[in-house]
Amino acid sequence: MPEPTGVIHDIGYQRYTGPRLGRRAVFGALYLHGLRTAFGLGRSAKAKIFPWLVVGIVTAVAAALTAIRAQIGEAVMTYAQFADNMSWLVIFFVAVAAPELVSRDLRSGVLPLYFSRPLPRADYPLAKLLALATALWLLLGGPQFVMFLGAAFSTGDGMSGVAEELLDLLPSLLYAGLWAVVFASVGLLVASLTGKRAFAAGGIVAVFLMTTPIVGTLSVMPSRTVNELAFLASPSTLVGGVGSWALGDLLVSEDQRGVPIGGFGPVYAVVAVLLVSGCVALLLRRYRKVAAR
Amino acid sequence: MSTVSWLTLRGLFGRRRFLLLLPLPVVLVGLAVLSRWLGVTPRDWGPPVLVGLGLAVVLPVVALIVGTGVLGAEIDDGTVVHILTKPLPRWQIVLPKLAVATAVTGVTVAVPLCAAGLLADSARLGLALAAASAVGALAYSALFLALSLLTRRPVLLGLVYVLIWEGLLGSVVSGTRVLSIQQYVITLADRIAPTDLLLGDVSVPVAASMSALISVGFTVLAIDRLRSFSVAGETS
Repeated sequence: MPEPTGVIHDIGYQRYTGPRLGRRAVFGALYLHGLRTAFGLGRSAKAKIFPWLVVGIVTAVAAALTAIRAQIGEAVMTYAQFADNMSWLVIFFVAVAAPELVSRDLRSGVLPLYFSRPLPRADYPLAKLLALATALWLLLGGPQFVMFLGAAFSTGDGMSGVAEELLDLLPSLLYAGLWAVVFASVGLLVASLTGKRAFAAGGIVAVFLMTTPIVGTLSVMPSRTVNELAFLASPSTLVGGVGSWALGDLLVSEDQRGVPIGGFGPVYAVVAVLLVSGCVALLLRRYRKVAAR
Repeated sequence: MSTVSWLTLRGLFGRRRFLLLLPLPVVLVGLAVLSRWLGVTPRDWGPPVLVGLGLAVVLPVVALIVGTGVLGAEIDDGTVVHILTKPLPRWQIVLPKLAVATAVTGVTVAVPLCAAGLLADSARLGLALAAASAVGALAYSALFLALSLLTRRPVLLGLVYVLIWEGLLGSVVSGTRVLSIQQYVITLADRIAPTDLLLGDVSVPVAASMSALISVGFTVLAIDRLRSFSVAGETS
């Protein structure tokens, strides 16, 4: 038997000796990357068109409202009404951003690479969800801040006027947060079901738009209870119901009425919590198995 | 039935995801039956169900998913090359695909709308809605089919048209309604069966001629685009 002639050369592979970042860093990186993806940052110009179109329209509306308010001296829309009126654009933004966040990874089959890192299963969808919710909150909160700046600089009462305006703004930012969480959880769940971005976008829009006329129909039913509960049927009116119950006086002034929900405010809050937690639970369930195909 | 339309049909219905299209018409009919059963006057439930749900949501969304799917899905996964390399004139590819998209959208939308119209007013309103929505299905399908050849993101561009142009601008700036397929459909249905449930904002000749113009124009555009179509990889 001849002597073995093989040699193992030392070609200079080295062990990594630097610091090892743990779960939090992975989560943070995913979150930041998701937030940038939602606005198309760090991507080609084509990926920026649709998100920034929405941002542009929303900001332009806010600027126009601010200008009108500075001219005629009274608010056309409160901050909360601004969020309500932008609902179609929010839906469109979810349809743009949510498929980018999750459907691309599903389609290109990179999830096993993610999960081979020290990343628990639940962290991936939660980071994406948090990123989408933050993006939506920025989308609604940014223009409200523009409106606030306009109002603050044109107020005639000095610092007390600014403080009063700030007290109007803060509950509305909270309300925008509610919008963001509800829409992000529903939208991301729908998008995570398919790897095709086109189908995901269509599905998200179908889910959100389909529910609005249901509210319209239920609110003409011959029962008062059904009418007051009708706003549960659609995410946007559900958010409106919770808002007018929890933050009622802070959101709308006395002469304008919020969503007419009667005494069912707590029901709305419970349903909103159930909707969000249900969507998150389904999302986590989806990601428990998804990469194992 | 040509091979292209056969392939397109199988592409649409070969997967489970076409089941996603079912809830929309089912909800439409369900709401109509529920309102009728509870004895609500059609004046109250007609506009939100027929126009708000049927013509403003179900018709454009189904047309969008189907219309961009017939050609866009093949462009997305690259299999469009197999059809393009066959010695077929381009119109023999576009027209069958358009026919399939229109037929699928038309059946999915016209049948529930017909039922809802029948429950709301009369058989005449039901048939009028069915006929008008079939016209709308043709116009929307031609538009979205052409979009899937003009851009890599046809669904989002189609959503811009449906949500922002027809939905948002259409309710604020009334002039944009002249270029809104949804308004043509409402006008045509109202012309065939005059009721107080539908209120069209454009005149009947405008609606009819613009629907025809959009259908033909975008089909010709799609055939022309497919003539010089270049298969490129995904860039963004």
